[in-house]
Amino acid sequence: MTLIGTGVRRKEDLRLLRGQGDYADDIHLPDATWAVFARAPYAHARLVSIDVSAAREMPGVVAVLTGADLQAAGIGAIPHVVGSSLTGADIALKNRDGSERARTDHPPLILDRSRFAGEPFAAVIADSVAAAKDAAELIEAEWEELPAVTSALAALEDGAPQLWDHVPGNLALEAEIGDEAATDAALAGAAHRVVFDSQINRVTGVHMEPRSSAAWVEEDGRVTVRCSGGTGVVQMRESIAQTLGLPVERVRIVAPGDVGGNFGTRNATYPEFVVIAHAARQTGRPVKHLVERSEAFSTDYQARDLHVRVELGMDEDGTFLALKAVNTSNIGAHTASYVPLNKGIQLMTGLYRVPVAHATARAVLTNTPPTIPYRSAGRPEAMYAIERLVDLAARECGFDPIELRRRNMIPREAFPYTNPFGITYDSGDHIAAMDRALELADHAGLPARREKARARGKRLGFGFANYIEGTGGIPRERAEVTVIPGERRVEVVLGTQDTGQGHRTAFAQLVADWLGLEVDEVTIRTGDTDVVLAGGGSHSGRSLRFGSIVMDEASRGVIARARAVFAALNGAEAGDVEFSDGYLRLADSNVVTHLFDLAGAAEASDDLPEDLRGPIAAVGDKVTAGLAFPYGAAVCELEIDPDTGAYEIVRYTSVDDVGRALNPMILHGQTHGGIAQGVGQALFEGYAFDEMGQNVTGSLMDYQLPRAGDFPMFTTDLSEVPATSHPMGFRPGGEGGTTPALATCTNAVADALAEYGVRHLEMPVTPLRIWQAIEESRG
Amino acid sequence: MYAFEIERPTSLSDAVSALKAEGAQALGGGQTLIPSLKARLAMPEVLVSLSAIDEIKGICTDDEGRICIGGGTPHGRVAAELKDSYPALASLAARIGDPAVRNRGTIGGSLANNDPSACWPAAALASDAVIKTDRREIAADDFFAGLFETVLEEGEIVTEVRFPVPQAANYQKFAQPASRFALVGVFVAKYEAGVRVAVTGASESGVFRWTEAEEKLSSDFSAAALEGLSHAAEGMIGDLHGTPAYRAHLIGVLTKRAVAAAG
Ligand SMILES: Cc1cc2nc3c(=O)[nH]c(=O)nc-3n(C[C@H](O)[C@H](O)[C@H](O)COP(=O)(O)OP(=O)(O)OC[C@H]3O[C@@H](n4cnc5c(N)ncnc54)[C@H](O)[C@@H]3O)c2cc1C
Repeated sequence: MTLIGTGVRRKEDLRLLRGQGDYADDIHLPDATWAVFARAPYAHARLVSIDVSAAREMPGVVAVLTGADLQAAGIGAIPHVVGSSLTGADIALKNRDGSERARTDHPPLILDRSRFAGEPFAAVIADSVAAAKDAAELIEAEWEELPAVTSALAALEDGAPQLWDHVPGNLALEAEIGDEAATDAALAGAAHRVVFDSQINRVTGVHMEPRSSAAWVEEDGRVTVRCSGGTGVVQMRESIAQTLGLPVERVRIVAPGDVGGNFGTRNATYPEFVVIAHAARQTGRPVKHLVERSEAFSTDYQARDLHVRVELGMDEDGTFLALKAVNTSNIGAHTASYVPLNKGIQLMTGLYRVPVAHATARAVLTNTPPTIPYRSAGRPEAMYAIERLVDLAARECGFDPIELRRRNMIPREAFPYTNPFGITYDSGDHIAAMDRALELADHAGLPARREKARARGKRLGFGFANYIEGTGGIPRERAEVTVIPGERRVEVVLGTQDTGQGHRTAFAQLVADWLGLEVDEVTIRTGDTDVVLAGGGSHSGRSLRFGSIVMDEASRGVIARARAVFAALNGAEAGDVEFSDGYLRLADSNVVTHLFDLAGAAEASDDLPEDLRGPIAAVGDKVTAGLAFPYGAAVCELEIDPDTGAYEIVRYTSVDDVGRALNPMILHGQTHGGIAQGVGQALFEGYAFDEMGQNVTGSLMDYQLPRAGDFPMFTTDLSEVPATSHPMGFRPGGEGGTTPALATCTNAVADALAEYGVRHLEMPVTPLRIWQAIEESRG
Repeated sequence: MYAFEIERPTSLSDAVSALKAEGAQALGGGQTLIPSLKARLAMPEVLVSLSAIDEIKGICTDDEGRICIGGGTPHGRVAAELKDSYPALASLAARIGDPAVRNRGTIGGSLANNDPSACWPAAALASDAVIKTDRREIAADDFFAGLFETVLEEGEIVTEVRFPVPQAANYQKFAQPASRFALVGVFVAKYEAGVRVAVTGASESGVFRWTEAEEKLSSDFSAAALEGLSHAAEGMIGDLHGTPAYRAHLIGVLTKRAVAAAG
């Protein structure tokens, strides 16, 4: 029997479809209060004075807190995980002079200065949301507005507004990787040189469930915070405890059973979590908080916002000689994460053999919400840069874009392959994935479809892109597998944190397979620091990759222990016990017991030796080093109406290699969502600010989220070349739809508009931009 | 939201008197008003819900053959019931928002609100509709008074909208990509007396008639008649989703398409 590779229906869905989800706000807390936050009206301003006395007097108000109140209570800055050049599996990034990246203090309520519009500066805790809002309107704050800067390139200019005294020029990190001298020399000698310069748009996560949290004090005095996030409860506990100035034992974190979307932008500690935890401790009453959609738009951590300048050198035949890149990341007002910059810069050569390369990675502070990892952090940006560049190179130097790729791709036999920045890709058959995607997308039928579209007055665009990722994430994971005979089930406690990916089904499949049980006999438990002792949550494609290793170890431990117990109860040697399909057997006998019955008998027995008493359970706990490399290829085909600039996506094809597909149905679902998210960035979503740093896309009326009706049915397929970097061959899945999509869409648009002499259009490629480009070409 | 009282009268006369109270405001389908209350952008003391007043709901045909839609009729009913008698209206209604919006939002609320991107004002203006209220009848040509402004007085209720049925008509909506309201919408209606072309979404002063196009089309109802005619960009809305030039250009394209589709 094998459950691995079957599309077992998701255990989660029926409950969710019936409205029985357990989201953060779905908790009734007797005597609860509600928190509402007063937020900075200016993107950059000095907080001159603040008067909360009128607010404190309002009916129903339990407490009003300011930054100064928190400081006086010993509450510090949020310890964002900014990494260093000495830790992690990514290429080390440090400043030219050898110094480390900057770190800025992020207090949960600002003390004296707002650095982006919407930063909280006070909190009202009241008996109802309405009472808290009424009081918040009475908080009087005097501000001295300062000039603001929202673009990273502008923030680097002389005379730009400065955000932090200890970060001159707003430059939080400037690192170089690769070989500059060799790259320059190779470029100088190249027959063809092509440059691509682009500002990758800022997007925001737009979780369907806005972020919500609750905090209360337990009878034993510990404070519990219930909140969602993908770094896992263990990390969240460390972060919140440290901010509160408490030992971790004094804090419990509980993740709700369900989350309405994460995509990464829930994966850093939010100021509100800390404030309500403190408020619960101070007032002794539970505190709940739910951001409204407009607050979410202006204060959620955001994503992408990277400027790229890339240059490629080729010889006469189109063989790649060198690549040079400068990536400038807008990290926002606080140093919340350097991950996207790091993840992208080390993969700037994509799936191509480039002998020499050099890249500069810059992180810049601006008066905008901090940016953190978002579905496939940094990789969609890197793939966009290289895949657009290759298309431009083909068009400008007279090559076929597919053949130019084929000529330069890393062939199967060249793996493991170390790219010019020092990242070693493990394995794969990338050319096969490309060919499969082209076949599924009916590349051969393209000329005929082009003509048909033209006959209808449309211009067809075909956009292809390859992709590779280098995923990592928090490297330690822990699983505890316990047989519960009374309920005839096995419980797996794991440190990952499902945020919609279907772990309860997929991980149960694995353990059920190994223990010879039904999928329904295995339950996955996560998300409570009282039971999860270690583990890293779900991000960077780490959950199955690390979870499978420790669940395997723990499952083997359970089998070994079951054998020993069975042997002891039957007066035999463990070596004589066979285990298969959930049954233990004494060799050459009729003595057979099911695992659950054995666990029951063990519980009831007084005869077992000391070391075999207690539940049949085992632990797997491991640190797994290094990166993993999912890859694939995708095609976007769209039709443009040249009269209006409107477009329609008519076909979308994606081939993703996840090494081995545990549950192909769930994977396809992940790919579908991933495509929508990637295409969303390319063609729909663009977070924008005015000159004063106020967002102008603060609601769904202006921030253009894609909808189901904007897409055709997707064609998705899996390639399964087992990963040599994983004992079971798994590569991470779930981001594959997103990673190539920025490039497929923009390549398709450029292809459709080539006849108008349009070289490139920036994202999001809206009908307005398309029409303007066509107009310009007409003069 | 700020706290408010709510009244649910079941007759028009009760609604009219309820609206005389200080700080009272009519509540139609709430699809515009409720979101603005949630954002604390309005502070009515009393909301007078019109949704229980049967006499201002429903669709009928009057003696002059005009289609009369009650001011409290939701878009969804128009979409379902006018497919045969005035298909362009049905199709306009069917493209407003999503099913939830169409089942609550009303024609009266939409006209009273006069959002510069709303669809109904274009239909009313192009159809030379008459807007009937609790106290008078107003020709569509006189009703709209700029962005979010109409000639309605304090507490005046739109009770019915009367649409003369055209020989041919079509509504072309180019959706604003985020809100899916009209970035530009053009309603073309051909009557015996002449062709009317109303444009929504585009102008800084709200819905308007494109008279140059009307003249050309009145003598030759074909897309070809509009060749060479373009609308000026001056006075058009410029925002994230469209420049004045883009909107002006779309007016031309959509008008031609509306004429072609109207047949
Ligand atoms: C998601 C979404 C998408 C939408 N898309 C579109 C679209 O594509 N095109 C479009 O045209 N509209 C769109 N709308 C708006 C929708 O059509 C609303 O229904 C309409 O604008 C207001 O009608 P209502 O009945 O909901 O009025 P309400 O929101 O209840 O009231 C709006 C205003 O009109 C007043 N009012 C209400 N009824 C009357 C009456 N009978 N007489 C006098 N005054 C009255 C109220 O006092 C208030 O000032 C959309 C709305 C939403 C939420």
